Amino acid sequence: MRVQGCWAGVVLLGVACGGAEEAAPGSSAATVSAEDPSATVPVVYVVNYPLAYMAERVGNGRVQVEFPAPDDLDPAMWSPGPEIVTAFQAADLILLNGAGYAGWVSRVSLPEGKLVDTSAGFADRYLTVDEAVTHSHGPEGEHSHEATAFTTWLDPTLALEQARAVHAALVDHWPENRTAFDEGLEALEADLTALDAQQAQLTANAGEQPIMASHPVYQYLAGRYGLNLRSVHFEPGEMPDVAGWRQLADILSEHPAEWMLWEGEPQPGVRDRLREMGVESVVYDPAGNRPEEGDYLTVMGANAENLRTVFGSGT
Amino acid sequence: MQSFYLAWRYLAYHRLKTAILVTAVTLIVYLPVGLRVLVDQSSEQLTARADATPLLVGARGSPLELVLNSLYFGSDVPAQTRYAAVAEIRESGLALPIPLYTRFNARGYPIVGSSLEYLAFRELRVEQGRSLAMLGECLVGARVAAALGVGPGDYVISSPESVFDLAGVYPLRMRVAGVLGFSDSPDDDAIFVDLKTAWVIAGLGHGHQDLSQPEAVGQVLSREGNEVVANASVQQFNEVTEGNIDSFHFHGDLSDYPLTAVVVVPPDERASALLQGRYQSDEQAVQIVRPREVMDELLGTILTVQKFVVAGAVIVGGATLASVILVFLLSLRLRARERQTLFKIGGSRASVGLIMGSEILAVLIIGVVSAGVLTMLTSRFASAAIRALIGL
Repeated sequence: MRVQGCWAGVVLLGVACGGAEEAAPGSSAATVSAEDPSATVPVVYVVNYPLAYMAERVGNGRVQVEFPAPDDLDPAMWSPGPEIVTAFQAADLILLNGAGYAGWVSRVSLPEGKLVDTSAGFADRYLTVDEAVTHSHGPEGEHSHEATAFTTWLDPTLALEQARAVHAALVDHWPENRTAFDEGLEALEADLTALDAQQAQLTANAGEQPIMASHPVYQYLAGRYGLNLRSVHFEPGEMPDVAGWRQLADILSEHPAEWMLWEGEPQPGVRDRLREMGVESVVYDPAGNRPEEGDYLTVMGANAENLRTVFGSGT
Repeated sequence: MQSFYLAWRYLAYHRLKTAILVTAVTLIVYLPVGLRVLVDQSSEQLTARADATPLLVGARGSPLELVLNSLYFGSDVPAQTRYAAVAEIRESGLALPIPLYTRFNARGYPIVGSSLEYLAFRELRVEQGRSLAMLGECLVGARVAAALGVGPGDYVISSPESVFDLAGVYPLRMRVAGVLGFSDSPDDDAIFVDLKTAWVIAGLGHGHQDLSQPEAVGQVLSREGNEVVANASVQQFNEVTEGNIDSFHFHGDLSDYPLTAVVVVPPDERASALLQGRYQSDEQAVQIVRPREVMDELLGTILTVQKFVVAGAVIVGGATLASVILVFLLSLRLRARERQTLFKIGGSRASVGLIMGSEILAVLIIGVVSAGVLTMLTSRFASAAIRALIGL
């Protein structure tokens, strides 16, 4: 049940010019609490699943988290229509991944006061996509598009910083729930720290072992654990074209990897052809979208186990 | 009763003379009173919007230009400041910043680039359609919608800044997402777009064909590794559609992008004072102004001028009144034979005096009533007249 209420993101306006809430472009998305019908549960919209998971864990039942991207699409490449944008506008808080993730954010109208860039705190540690195509043109002089790698959460220490940013935003908006948010963050910190420790242990012997990635999305993972990783642009559900195979062969000639990380299970034909080239396939799911089973930690746990297969280390 | 009838017939017969006298009396009364109403209403209107706008941040320059442009979307475009100013204010936690970029227009109506917070701040309601959602959309003010005959789903095209600037700002065809309700303010005469859409109009953001595709080979100058260099003939989209919206992008650091002003809404006086303190240094490239103070200065000048104008009107009115009295006296002298005739046919001195007095009284009453009607009309239409007069 939707409740028409104050437009939470513009609290200041209410002070400065009473009545502004009636004219807000979107009413608050706060919903009625099941436990206490008189209380409203703030609604938090997010742009990817890792943030949804963090907000749910840190929110600790005090916020309703909405992640409206379709299950079958990569939220990084998805573009919502006006109706979903309107729903975002009506949220009490909007959590962004930052680092250029979800480019659609720059092409829609969202209330700036509600936006929280969870990776802004480590913007100086953003990585770039080496394989990205840049272009320059135009009468205003040359300019280029340097792509920033955006799967920041694959470095668990950065994920932890994002979780802390989520916590700070929630506390800032709803300080009355601080205790619950503190507890949620504490538990999440423990899980992410454990994940980081586990992956560090599993990759401890990685050294300069070359590995491939089917897509350039593992920059932060490689950066965190010092992996010698290069990427091609293979999609899990598609057979690469001739140019793609040729590019892989060229890379393998100087970067003799025996393993390729995939975002999802590759087609059997692709897996077989890779095997013929001496490259085995293993899934490391970035978990950008909500998994069919389990949650973020279970997906990351499975990823870690697959790293054990690649590097054959740890206990 | 007969005396009044005769007086009325006399005035009706001498229409021209009556009309001149009534006009003179009307102007004697209306000029100072109407001017006073006009000035009072303009003061009220100007200060009301200034009062509703606590603070403005903009590039150093004329505070009046900054205020007039930001509040009424008129005046010249002030010097531009950087979008970074918005982040600085937000990060200070002292106020809500609302960016404004009011450089462009469409068919003479200002295009106001801002954020959704502006609509809430000005208490603007979307009466038809919906609010802004996608890049390239606009909301039109009530008077713009009526004047251009546009509604949700229609299009408005931004006007180029100069017809000779072929390589400059391209017109953007913007879809009307909604129409704002009437607010009796300059917002009724404006077209609102998201700040990013305003930047697209400015050419800072754009969408174009995919240079990695074979169709773009004619526009590509070179390909080196992952870098493609194209020439200026790359086809840029002049409308944001569902099919091309994903190709729109912005170059460089957004914090360097231009704004004409930032409306700053602090929650209390303390925050306001703290914020103003931060911009006091002369070395700052930006200034912070209280619109009310700037408008008071302007109104002070207007009131000084008003005093001279009223004094002039009073002098002219006095001279006109003297002329009117002279006209009445001369008229009475010229009508000496008429009075003798009235006496001879049995009219008493009192009746004849009543006839003459009624004529004068009727002229005065009609003149004063006319002045009252004009003053009411001035009061009713002062709002639009002021905007038309001073181009706001």
